[in-house]
Amino acid sequence: MASGASATTNAVRETMDVLLEISRLLNTGLDMESLSICVRLCEQGINPEALSSVIKELRKASDSLKASENCTN
Amino acid sequence: MAHWTNFEKETEKETKNLIRCLSGIEDEEDQNFQMALKFAWSNFRFHQFLNVDGHKVQRSITGIHEKLMIHSDTSKADCWMRLTQEFLNSPLPNTDGTKTEVHCSILSLLLFLSGSPSNTTFIERPRLKEAELQDDFDWAEYLREGEDLETGPYPDTPEWSEEESEEEDSQEAISREDSGIQVDKTPQEDQENTNQALPVTWTVGEPDARAWLEQHVVTPYWVAHAPRFPHSLHLHSNLLNVWDQHLYNTDPLYLPEEKAFVTETQVIRETIWLLSGVKKHFIFQFHDGQVSVRNNVVVTHLTSNCLRSVLEHIAVYGQAVFRLQRFIDEVTGYSSEPCPPSSGSSHSSRKGSEPPFRTYQAFVWALYKYFASFKEELTTIERELICKDETVTLSAVLERLSPHLAQIKVLHKVFCTGVAEVPPDTPNVVRASHLLNTLYKAIIEYDSVGEASEQAVALLFSLWTETVRPYLEIVDEWIVHGQLFDPAKEFIIQRNKDVPVNHRDFWYATYTLYSVSETVENEEKLNDAASGSSGGDQGASNRQLTMVSFLKPVLKQIIMAGKSMQLLKNLDCKDTEQSESSSRDAERKSLYTLFLESVQSRLCQRQESPTDTVTEQQATKRSLIKMQSIVVQHLQIVDIHDPLLAINFARLYLEQSDFHERFSGGDFIVDRSSQSVTCQTFELTLRSCLYPHIEKRYIECCGNLMKTLKKDYKLLEYLQAMRNYFLLEAGDTMYDFYTAIFDRVLEKESWQQLSFLNVQLQQAVGQRCPEDSSRLSIFLETIDPARKKHPVNNLDVLTLTYKVPWPVDIVISSECQKIYNQVFLLLLQIKWAKYSLDTLRFSDLTVATQKIEGGKPEEMAVKEPINQQIHRMCLLRVKLMHFVNSLHNYIMTRILHSTGLEFQHQVQEAKDLDQLIKIHYRYLSTIHDRCLLREKVSFVKEAIMKVLNLVLIFSDRWQAGFGAWKIESIDKMESDFKNCHMFLVTILNKAVCRGSFPHLESLALSLMAGFEQC
Repeated sequence: MASGASATTNAVRETMDVLLEISRLLNTGLDMESLSICVRLCEQGINPEALSSVIKELRKASDSLKASENCTN
Repeated sequence: MAHWTNFEKETEKETKNLIRCLSGIEDEEDQNFQMALKFAWSNFRFHQFLNVDGHKVQRSITGIHEKLMIHSDTSKADCWMRLTQEFLNSPLPNTDGTKTEVHCSILSLLLFLSGSPSNTTFIERPRLKEAELQDDFDWAEYLREGEDLETGPYPDTPEWSEEESEEEDSQEAISREDSGIQVDKTPQEDQENTNQALPVTWTVGEPDARAWLEQHVVTPYWVAHAPRFPHSLHLHSNLLNVWDQHLYNTDPLYLPEEKAFVTETQVIRETIWLLSGVKKHFIFQFHDGQVSVRNNVVVTHLTSNCLRSVLEHIAVYGQAVFRLQRFIDEVTGYSSEPCPPSSGSSHSSRKGSEPPFRTYQAFVWALYKYFASFKEELTTIERELICKDETVTLSAVLERLSPHLAQIKVLHKVFCTGVAEVPPDTPNVVRASHLLNTLYKAIIEYDSVGEASEQAVALLFSLWTETVRPYLEIVDEWIVHGQLFDPAKEFIIQRNKDVPVNHRDFWYATYTLYSVSETVENEEKLNDAASGSSGGDQGASNRQLTMVSFLKPVLKQIIMAGKSMQLLKNLDCKDTEQSESSSRDAERKSLYTLFLESVQSRLCQRQESPTDTVTEQQATKRSLIKMQSIVVQHLQIVDIHDPLLAINFARLYLEQSDFHERFSGGDFIVDRSSQSVTCQTFELTLRSCLYPHIEKRYIECCGNLMKTLKKDYKLLEYLQAMRNYFLLEAGDTMYDFYTAIFDRVLEKESWQQLSFLNVQLQQAVGQRCPEDSSRLSIFLETIDPARKKHPVNNLDVLTLTYKVPWPVDIVISSECQKIYNQVFLLLLQIKWAKYSLDTLRFSDLTVATQKIEGGKPEEMAVKEPINQQIHRMCLLRVKLMHFVNSLHNYIMTRILHSTGLEFQHQVQEAKDLDQLIKIHYRYLSTIHDRCLLREKVSFVKEAIMKVLNLVLIFSDRWQAGFGAWKIESIDKMESDFKNCHMFLVTILNKAVCRGSFPHLESLALSLMAGFEQC
């Protein structure tokens, strides 16, 4: 049982590695952590297009926030 | 959202993770975070996008492939196709099957996010196919646990490798690393050294050399991707691995972070370095004065959370040490070795132009001494660590340091309140007194806790005794040499530069007392109020000022002694004392030394067993004084390690009742407010160790000053002269003066000529006291015509002055002379009245009668009324004489003489100049009052003046001779006199009956006697 579970985990890990490579190739800017979050969200049925728009917006907003913080400092 | 499904909760959790990951905002309560969450949720739920279309995704994949081919990026294109196919055929964590919709949706997400894949360079990273999970755990080792296997002398030390030998190179580097002396070396510096040094080939053939290296070389754990050191495979040493394995197994998406492995010994050493004030570390990081713990540091036998919590605890202390260290550096001007404040004042000042702020320097010196001992302890621990004779664990080290850490906490707290929170533009005097007060309060605070905080009290006490040193030195300098030397303006009393010593105002306007208000820390000036010591005290108590609390009880004495000393130094002492005193000055003990000695002897006394006899105590004291220098030296290095101090503070608590008895009987006024009842010990220490020395010095100084003033400056003689001339005590001299004036008036000649008056005065005085004649002079003042209507007021124009030389004019000021002059004028008026009554001759009247008799003998009938008139005149004269004599007697004997005797007595007993001045003022106001010159009793004076006036008119008429006045005028005079007399008798009787003016009794009685007889 344990060996079966670990085999699955390994397979999943490999999948994630492949996915990370794809992500790098496509220059999405996602790292492993955010990629795994995205995978989980997609598995939960979140629309990928909606998710992508949210990610883009969040990136934009946090960039501008950081820029304004730098200005004030 | 009241009933959320598990699914939604999961989604929410992931969404939060996503936001955290993308935005970097950790705080969920953050407004931005909440906004982002809302935004994401609304997008997820209410979007208008179509569901994922597998075909569309497939088309996009081929499209990208084509595009890459067109860009002739064949390798990338191949990669792309291969990877996507591989992905579509791989399983997903929570989804069954391959090539599902989820696969498509993940791919489409990546496609949406993709940013020009053709323009980026991409090199596929070789992915290691993990064929099978490598079992880290050595079961063989585990099962063989306990069996004695030959594993070499140092199984736990890193294994030797050739690569390492090239990295860790020169001999010097190794000895530096492990000598244990130069704790200030930081890992980073080491790293630099390592990089700069040339590689040296090692011959590692010898087994002992290998062993030595294994034992001494530290793996460079501070560099990125440092080689992992092998360690024991025992389960206990692998807790981190076991825990990681568990996380790895349970959570497929768990990402093992990049970790920097260190050993516990390294953690301990970095801890020691941190606490000894080193700023560059690997485990601890400095950022804007904040110490934080590096995220990814782990040891093999603890989970990272556990290690982190321990290290964060240490980091707090590290930060406290760092702040204190920075303060020390700031004050000492970054010199590595601060000097004691007395000797190194010039060198340790940071800005050459500013005089050194000695109170801070002293405080820093005390801190430095504490840190020296603390570092000593740290070094001992590190040496033990290097020796490896016994096991040193982090918790053991913390346990061992815990008393020190508690003390650092106390120090940091005191530092924060006393120094760090003071706004930057605060003047030094406020800073100094605030610091001293903070320490003082902290001692009292911890003192009241009892034995629980003995260590803290001992530490704070030693800190306080050091910090107070400049203050005591300033006080000492002031009360011994009369110089208030305070270049940094930190003492609460400051000299006003514009008043020279030999000035009349010196005594009042020379010093300013600065006080710090409790609530608003604003500087307040109590100018002059301080110089009149009573004023200073009053102001302080009324306005709740802190000043410097410990000096408050003796502030008056300090001010008095200081001013007296300065005055004394400026007087030309005729004695030979000065030369003696200067020679003795070298062996004189300073106030601070005396204070320390007293503290020491007090603590020693406490330690003696109660059976000790008095002689033994005396012997101890004597030997103490003999060994003064040794004691002082010893005290210089007194710190909290001194068990004596700690023990004795504990003993003080036990014996304070006995102590209280001993001192309540003495000179010490024990009035304590309710709040300070608990802090007896510390206060009593001050009372017995500091205040008596100041008190003694005060008595000495002021006694000397009084002696000098009385002996060399003839203070008493001047006071006597004032009484002689102004209060007419020199009867014969002044008689000559005033009779000359009265005679002139009698002869109706003008007497209000300056030259005439002065000549008369000089003649009168010059005969008897030639030295005073030059000082006395008389002036004429114009007075307002309204007051001139009565003849008796003619004398008001006179002003007698006496030139009092410095420094006696501090006591006999011009204000005093004004009062003297008022009394003088009153006396002159009475004398005038008396004189004019005394000089009347019966013959004046009888001659007139005879003239009438001779001229008209037939008018015998008229003679009877003439005789009657003469008789009435005589009667009136006697009555007036009685009145004037009573008044004269009352004032000259009852008032001036007896009050003068009291005054002389008090002057003899006056301890200090202030007291003398006060006595003199009191004397003057008493005679002023009793001569009825006060505004409040002016109606009595009016009545008396009326009578005196009547006397003058009467004598005038008498001298004019019989016939010059009518019978009605006699009636008028009689009735006027009677009215005034009755009025005065009634008023005085009332006053006497009330008992408020006992001195008036004799006047009232004598006037009444005169009244009854009429």
